[in-house]
Amino acid sequence: MFRTTPTRLARVLALAGVAAAVTGCSVIDSFYPPKAATAQGHDIRNLYDIVFLIAAAIFFVVEGLIVYAVIRYRRHPTDTELPPQIHGNNLIEIIWTIIPTVIVAYLFVISWQTLNTVEATSPNPQVHVVAIARRFDWSFQYLGPDGQSLIRGPDGKAVSLPGTMVVPAGQTVHLSLHSPDVIHAFYVPQFLFKRDVVPGKENTFDFMVDATDAGQTFRGQCAELCGIGHQGMSFEVQAKTPTEFDAWLQQQITQAKATPAPAASGAPSPSGSPGASSVTASGPPSAQVTLDLTAKNVAFDKDSLEAPANQPFDIKFTNADQATQHNVDIHKDSPTGAVVFDGEVITGPDSRLYAVNPLPAGKYSFVCKVHPTTMIGTLTVR
Amino acid sequence: MATTALHPAVPAYRSGLYEWITTTDHKKIGILYVVNSLLFFFLAGLLALGVRAELAQPKIQFFAPDVYNQLFTMHGTVMIFLFIIPILAGFANYVVPLQIGAPDMAFPRINALSFWMLPLGGILMFTGFFTGGAAAEGWTGYSPLAQRAYSGTGTDLWAVGLILIGTSSILGAVNFLTTIFKMRAPGLTMFRLPILVWTVLVTSVLVLMATPVFTSALIMLFIDRNYGGHFFDPATGGNAILWQNVFWFYSHPAVYVMVLPAMGMVSEILPVFSRKPLFGYKAFVFATAGIGALGFSVWAHHMFTTGSVFLPFFSLMTFLIAVPTGVKMFNWVATLFRGQLIFSTPMLFALGFLTMFLIGGINGAFSAAVPVDFALHDTYWVVAHLHYVLFGGSVFGMFAGLYYWFPKMTGRLLDETLGKIHFVLMFVGFNLTFFPMHMLGLMGMPRRVADYSAAAGWSELNLLATIGGFTIATSMLPFLWNVMISLRNGEPAGDDPWEANTLEWATSSPPPPYNFDHLPEIRSERPLFDLRHGRAGNHA
Ligand code: HEM
Ligand SMILES: [Cu+2]
Repeated sequence: MFRTTPTRLARVLALAGVAAAVTGCSVIDSFYPPKAATAQGHDIRNLYDIVFLIAAAIFFVVEGLIVYAVIRYRRHPTDTELPPQIHGNNLIEIIWTIIPTVIVAYLFVISWQTLNTVEATSPNPQVHVVAIARRFDWSFQYLGPDGQSLIRGPDGKAVSLPGTMVVPAGQTVHLSLHSPDVIHAFYVPQFLFKRDVVPGKENTFDFMVDATDAGQTFRGQCAELCGIGHQGMSFEVQAKTPTEFDAWLQQQITQAKATPAPAASGAPSPSGSPGASSVTASGPPSAQVTLDLTAKNVAFDKDSLEAPANQPFDIKFTNADQATQHNVDIHKDSPTGAVVFDGEVITGPDSRLYAVNPLPAGKYSFVCKVHPTTMIGTLTVR
Repeated sequence: MATTALHPAVPAYRSGLYEWITTTDHKKIGILYVVNSLLFFFLAGLLALGVRAELAQPKIQFFAPDVYNQLFTMHGTVMIFLFIIPILAGFANYVVPLQIGAPDMAFPRINALSFWMLPLGGILMFTGFFTGGAAAEGWTGYSPLAQRAYSGTGTDLWAVGLILIGTSSILGAVNFLTTIFKMRAPGLTMFRLPILVWTVLVTSVLVLMATPVFTSALIMLFIDRNYGGHFFDPATGGNAILWQNVFWFYSHPAVYVMVLPAMGMVSEILPVFSRKPLFGYKAFVFATAGIGALGFSVWAHHMFTTGSVFLPFFSLMTFLIAVPTGVKMFNWVATLFRGQLIFSTPMLFALGFLTMFLIGGINGAFSAAVPVDFALHDTYWVVAHLHYVLFGGSVFGMFAGLYYWFPKMTGRLLDETLGKIHFVLMFVGFNLTFFPMHMLGLMGMPRRVADYSAAAGWSELNLLATIGGFTIATSMLPFLWNVMISLRNGEPAGDDPWEANTLEWATSSPPPPYNFDHLPEIRSERPLFDLRHGRAGNHA
């Protein structure tokens, strides 16, 4: 077999060598998780490295034996006699039962040790954050030592900040996970960690972002299928230095107290508050213009709408998402501006005719208040 | 052994549709199982191609999330419950009575009933596509997502279909156990049973103990959804984690239901094509029983991230179950050593099983290390792992069995060249599809997503996986062509084309109704080898 001439073989090997040298580093890297950004992540990474080494060794030994047997023991035309009929060997069986047992016992012990450090919780974490995972977005509340929300609106209600979790680097953060609907999972690849967000149950864990990672932002994503918006259910973790963090938190606290809550954006209960709408949904009957708008796959089918100024109009809103809530809110100017129309939240598949009171000419935004970060469009009134 | 005592009973296989629908012959039922399962394999494969097509590039091109979620849910459910479990049961149906020298299964009519529940259950599930959407919660159907508030009629059809399929499995298990315990030929003691029969025996015990739990859970889910039960929905005082416990209490042992018979087939095939006995017969039996027993104590390793599991116990048990599996691997490799290996197509697929299942075993060990599982759980790493086990293991093993027993079932040999093309294409395509998924998982790509960001850096590996997926699909063409031409013009197989060891090769191909008119003496686990070489050969 392998009747390759030496020169040809050498050429192939040289080529392979060059290819390996060029791509080698990145290929090897791709067998490892990303660089960890938390103290717990470093522990997990160390464990991964050991597991990977042992796994690679076993892989090469056993695959090597198989390949060797396939090459060495192929039947030759001259083989007319039967090969030796070996039925087994008890000593060998015992040996190759004990060796794997020792290996897995070792792996179990080191992973148990790592588990204990990863799961350890601090008696007095510096920061306590609550993550609220809801179909299909994330929001975060910051709790004081008394377990009450630090950031509150003028009405005293807890305010949760959508989309981004800000944490102090180098300090222990205690995270509690809440879901009002189905199971989600909090997953940040660079933490090398995830934990399910289970309705009816509070899961918690501690983590500490490396002090050197202040200023970094980490991508996070829901890791437990939660419905049609699952793939878009992402968030960010922003690490700041502790001083920056404190300043940021103070700013959020004062800001929230001053501004009326933007209609329930990111509030934990999916139905939201009645909102600060200045115009109710039961408008005058004599609308001339009807706009069509459909929500499907957690997106509006249009990103811009146009309506006549100073006269009532209708929005025929269709929610095509099975068992998912959507609505249409109209905000002055930007999607976070004052709410001028607050449509009823409906669960798909369903539709509503929203009657909107006359609006002065200008620029507006329409937003689904259940998905304020992803379902957004512009409304031009002229 | 070129001649045969009986004239091949070919006419029995030419009879009409009516005969096939009413038959209680275990061989015909076995073939029905195999053909039905292959049809569902192709359907589920098409669904997988849809998944891969959508993921080839970032952004939504073909299937928006509402449809995408149905695709992978039905893909996973059908592959497991309508393809791999039933096709292995089908081979067992065909082969086990022959290997133990029995005329049929113990309860032939129940056998027919078990089979006919399968297409019925499958069709029910697929009708979901026409009633506003099939089930879309993943094959695991986690609650509350599977509750009425979040999912439509497709999920009811899914549950009812699975209840039927589960009942079919339970009936089948009772049938196998009775057959194996009560209908063995004289001289065929338990420790002379072919390893395939042992694996079917252990599998049947698993099915008997685990499947009723799952079937009950499905009924509870159905009650939750339709009659206001409060079992699994925390919004009404139920418990979401309870579903996961009962689901995995069944579905982890079910993984062994999907793998043990394939191991059994490979354990039949490797010795024949190495011209040696299986190394460590008794070790195999004990390892199989050990896997079966330990299989009931590892279910919660699918739930490490729920925060509701006593982690060290399930981590330990999961590591431990690697030991009997490792013992098997070593014994297979030792069977090859000092043999005279013949690389016919069944042997190639059996070697494919060894090399690929090994990877599935090793990358599973990563998840047994709980903290590492915190990183890998529900990412594409898991998709890689489960396909190395179920495709690299079970499907390669199944094809080994298909090429090996096709001559017995039809009286004709399959074409070797086409078989080898099939093997090479499938082997290459399989690794192209699933190896890159390890890297995707490490980089943080979650499973069950219809879309991903172009900025995530996952695009190239996803494209590679899609190319691999279509290569696998291509490999089915030479296979189907092979079956078609061989059924008509294939070389006649004779009784024993492979110089095999077990009783099914002592009768004609295909065997007559009731299988044997006389049986050779059974003095070891290789009665046909003894017949060819005399007892002396056994101890040479
Ligand atoms: C034709 C070759 C196959 C391809 C290309 C393929 C592809 C895939 C892909 C890409 C996924 C992940 C979907 C997602 O998470 O979004 C998946 C899931 C899955 N596959 Fe396959 N697969 C193939 C064959 C098989 C076989 C033979 C089996 C079992 C015997 C199987 C069982 C599963 C299961 C159980 C899932 C999980 C489904 C879920 O998450 O609910 N697949 N497959
Ligand atoms: Cu989610």
